[in-house]
Amino acid sequence: MTAYRLSAGGLVDRATSLNFTFDGQSMKGLAGDTLASALLANDQMLVGRSFKYHRPRGIVTAGASEPNALMTIGSGARTDPNTKATVAELYAGLEARSQNSWPSLKYDVGALNGLLSPFLSAGFYYKTFMWPAAFWEKVYEPIIRKAAGLGRAVLERDPEAYEKCWAHCDLLVVGSGPAGLMAALTAGRAGLRVILVDEGFRHGGSLLSETTPIDGEPAAAFVDKALSELATLPNVTLMARTTVFGWYDDNVFGALERVQKHLAVPSSKLPAERVWRIAAKRALLATGAEERPLVFGGNDRPGVMMAGALSTYANRYGVAAGKLVALFTNGSAGYRTAADLAAHGIDIAAIIDSRADSTEVAPFGTRVIRGGSIVDTKGRSRLSGITVERSGFEERIDCDAMGMSGGFSPVIHLACQRGAKPVWSETLKAFVAPDVGAGLRLAGSAAGLYALAACLKDGADKARTIASDLGLLTSAAHLPAVGEETTASFTALWYVPGARSKAFVDFQNDVHAKDLGLALREGFGHVEHAKRYTTNGMATDQGKLSNVNAVGILAGMQGVSPAELGTTTFRPFYTPVPFGALAGTSRDEHAAPKRVSPLHGWAARNKAVFIESGLWYRSSWFPRAGEKTWRESVDREVLNVRENVGLCDVSTLGKIEVFGPDAAEFLNRLYCNPFLKLPVGKARYGLMLREDGMVYDDGTTSRLSDEHFLVTTTTALAGGVMSHMEYCAQVLWPELKVRFCSVSDQWAQMAIAGPKSRLVVQALVEDDVSNAAFPFLAAKAVTLKGGLKGRLFRISFSGELAYELAVPAGYGEAVADKVMDVGRMHGICAYGLEALNVLRIEKGHVTHAELDGRVTPDDAGFGRMLSSQKADFIGKRLSTRFGLTAADRMQMVGLKPVEKDKDIRAGAHLLREGAKPSTLNDQGYVSSACYSPVLGQFIALGFLKSGRERYGEKVVVWDRLRGEETLAEICNPVFVDPANTKLNS
Amino acid sequence: MPHQFQERHALEELVSMNAAAAADHLAVVARQAIVVVLAAEGQEASVAALLTADEEISVRFSAPGEWLVVTGLQTPELLQQSLAALLRETAHCVDQSHGRVLLRLSGANSRAILAKGIGIDLHPSAFVIGSSANVLCGHISINLALVDKNSFEIVVMRSFAESLLHDLCEMGRAFDLSVFFAP
Repeated sequence: MTAYRLSAGGLVDRATSLNFTFDGQSMKGLAGDTLASALLANDQMLVGRSFKYHRPRGIVTAGASEPNALMTIGSGARTDPNTKATVAELYAGLEARSQNSWPSLKYDVGALNGLLSPFLSAGFYYKTFMWPAAFWEKVYEPIIRKAAGLGRAVLERDPEAYEKCWAHCDLLVVGSGPAGLMAALTAGRAGLRVILVDEGFRHGGSLLSETTPIDGEPAAAFVDKALSELATLPNVTLMARTTVFGWYDDNVFGALERVQKHLAVPSSKLPAERVWRIAAKRALLATGAEERPLVFGGNDRPGVMMAGALSTYANRYGVAAGKLVALFTNGSAGYRTAADLAAHGIDIAAIIDSRADSTEVAPFGTRVIRGGSIVDTKGRSRLSGITVERSGFEERIDCDAMGMSGGFSPVIHLACQRGAKPVWSETLKAFVAPDVGAGLRLAGSAAGLYALAACLKDGADKARTIASDLGLLTSAAHLPAVGEETTASFTALWYVPGARSKAFVDFQNDVHAKDLGLALREGFGHVEHAKRYTTNGMATDQGKLSNVNAVGILAGMQGVSPAELGTTTFRPFYTPVPFGALAGTSRDEHAAPKRVSPLHGWAARNKAVFIESGLWYRSSWFPRAGEKTWRESVDREVLNVRENVGLCDVSTLGKIEVFGPDAAEFLNRLYCNPFLKLPVGKARYGLMLREDGMVYDDGTTSRLSDEHFLVTTTTALAGGVMSHMEYCAQVLWPELKVRFCSVSDQWAQMAIAGPKSRLVVQALVEDDVSNAAFPFLAAKAVTLKGGLKGRLFRISFSGELAYELAVPAGYGEAVADKVMDVGRMHGICAYGLEALNVLRIEKGHVTHAELDGRVTPDDAGFGRMLSSQKADFIGKRLSTRFGLTAADRMQMVGLKPVEKDKDIRAGAHLLREGAKPSTLNDQGYVSSACYSPVLGQFIALGFLKSGRERYGEKVVVWDRLRGEETLAEICNPVFVDPANTKLNS
Repeated sequence: MPHQFQERHALEELVSMNAAAAADHLAVVARQAIVVVLAAEGQEASVAALLTADEEISVRFSAPGEWLVVTGLQTPELLQQSLAALLRETAHCVDQSHGRVLLRLSGANSRAILAKGIGIDLHPSAFVIGSSANVLCGHISINLALVDKNSFEIVVMRSFAESLLHDLCEMGRAFDLSVFFAP
């Protein structure tokens, strides 16, 4: 046993022991532990196998940048792969499993890859497996995918709930270490609306492992005091377990809150995780700085950790990673860790300082090797010693853990997510954030300040500046007194020469220094190319530890400054975010809203089968007892409408009321056909074009009074037409005095169609609906018997004598029930969307199946509607352009199979008889097809080159999907009552 | 033969009649009158002045020169008539009483509930009593108004009311939101 729990110290609750398992083995941790600190306390040094070579790996960090300690946590459907043990909060009953090893973590067959490593160099899959090409998809890729990779996602349905939430503030402070905490206090006291976010489960950041006293007390006590003051301020919101993952336009930040990932039994009332969108007037990044690893031979052996992580495990969690610890440093931080560990009674094997002339003081009695370096490490799956080299002299030093410190890089990710590139600072030997404007500033270590007192002051100062920016004047904050500190300093050391074994740059992707050299030799020296070529900086950690070293090494290899190389691109997300959280509640029935017709209840009572139509649920057909297929129901409904009468819900069509002295002129410009002289009390079919001359939408428009119209649209384009009208009124013709609003939801509308429809309608309304008093295309307000006010339109989609009756939506169901009631003696039936479709195809009426955006009015047979009298209307200019008037354009025709028992389906293409089936010989296509119970055979509408001249000719209907060719006769698209005698009866 | 037609609320079978309301409560208003007022060209200011002077009605801004007038006290017909008398030629009044559903969300957590679906700042200093706005609540467009300290009114299109109700219940789950028809 080497790693162990110290007998005292740390912010863990020693009275609360928590049982958990790792790879099935029972272990104990303490409340306040992360999974990583608990694993270390149980001397579990080996925690995973590496991505490519399956090398044994241990915990490296104590935070979000962890490349190795990725675990699968949970079981069954509640399984989370790739969870960082270093941030996962320990709870009783937690089940963790290592990843990427088989049959076990200790004896992993994949480790043979290590022996193959000469063949697995960077870019190996681009080169080795090129030939034969057919092998890539079937052989090479599956093998590589199986061997490589991180944890596996489970395929069960995710039982967790997620949600999204908005927050607004004057100041968002990201990170609650010294700078963030002082900033929140300063801004909170000044009265700003402050949100203080921290990714940890406990606020305080680096202060939680800080040993320098503040105001004469431990730093943790200062944190507690600050938090209790912030909790009393109503203008301050504290959010822990929340990672700000992205910075977006308008200073909106994305954040992921792990609401109950730390609970064994989550509450059913709360989501597991919550995505926040935080709109902040100002943001302050107090995200700290990341300690850099050193790139030396054997630096990936379990037990080699970041020096700062060793301090954190000892100071915050009361855990020693080893009994005899070596430190390898290029700056003061290594000495700091040595002092921390020594204070806990942990022996220091030696401090190896890469600098020959450093002046830092090591703990009493500690051996310091200045100007030395480590060239190799010893041990199998855990560290047992290091090989130290100085001026050609090598010695082995025993140790069971070691810390490395390669200096610091400010954590600037968020500041660089919107295009601004990091800037190299020669003084700080690090990339720092560029000036990205007043909306986002950085403070403390994130701004390159590494002393505690300087961070506290910087947080307070920056918050004060922001407060005054926002118009709130504050007095200078009282700054707490900080105990004695050493000045932090380091030199740049990107690569430690003389490595005896692989010197890893990126632990997570198994990229070592030689891979970068290979990339450079092969022409991939650009930092973005090198990333893709070597995979350095990819995967879940996105190079939080490795990127700067990779840049430094690539720059060093080329003999230039890192400033010349620059960095790869910073993008959201800072740390991985589950897709479930991004979807929030928008899944299953919440994925899209459902629109309910005011006649839905009536349809349900009449046993409708519903179909999704956009957001609407429309009645599709109304099966009756004994009907075995939908076609039986639809055929009956169609025949009944043609013989008696039927009722169909048409409430979903768009309805827009238009007012104003220029309403008629407005509509006249909107539609291609004339509307100026439409008489009051009349409806007219209208065709709207797009500017390019293609049909946009159709519908009937009624004039209710001189300056009051009712426009109807198709169901699909109800919203689109409304937006189009708003654009026209506001942008194209602001001079027109016109106002309009949608009344689609105000009215329940029912089509009452069939030769007996007049009898039914007359039984309902007071007004005279005879042909003389209420002829075809009449449109009027009516009073129903009993006094209810409605609107009646004599319009017909079926080709029958038909009315559409509109009543206020709340009365829709009652009126529809009454229609059925009074219609019973006339044989009324409810009919749905399918029958409606058959009726209109029989009559040759178009829908968006025909008006699909490629069709001109003339193509659809409406050429004569285009008004040549009008000075202008939308689509007029381009309607005359070459191509739109060509004689061989596809025109709408009817189609009937020559053999009566053959069918036709929409989507099939049309060919000349005898032509080879090929799209090169394409003559047109079928837009709509159905079985016509009236004609007793299939009929179709289609578009065919010069179709109207070709009635009587035969074409082949080529259905490539079903592999069928059917001979059909071209005919007039109006199959039923072409003389319109029924319509006008 | 005269016909008597029973009016049906869009949420009739989905929401029960009044019982004990929880601390956070969503009341579905059973009967309301809602009229969209569209100011005639050039009359925007005078219509706004006339509407705000009328204490009987509640006026919600919904677009430039366009307001929703909401009342639980009058019938749609009476509201139409009184607005026509008030505004005469200066505006067009369109009855939407059946086309909209009125919901009232109240309680100390009402802002926290709405923040799960609404992107605007609802802090009392930013969205003061009397404010209203057309906003998206999740996928659904609504008109939101703050009518009292912790009490919001939501006007939603009738066809979307069922989906919005489900969404609001989901948003209020953590707070044990209760839902009943307003007495």
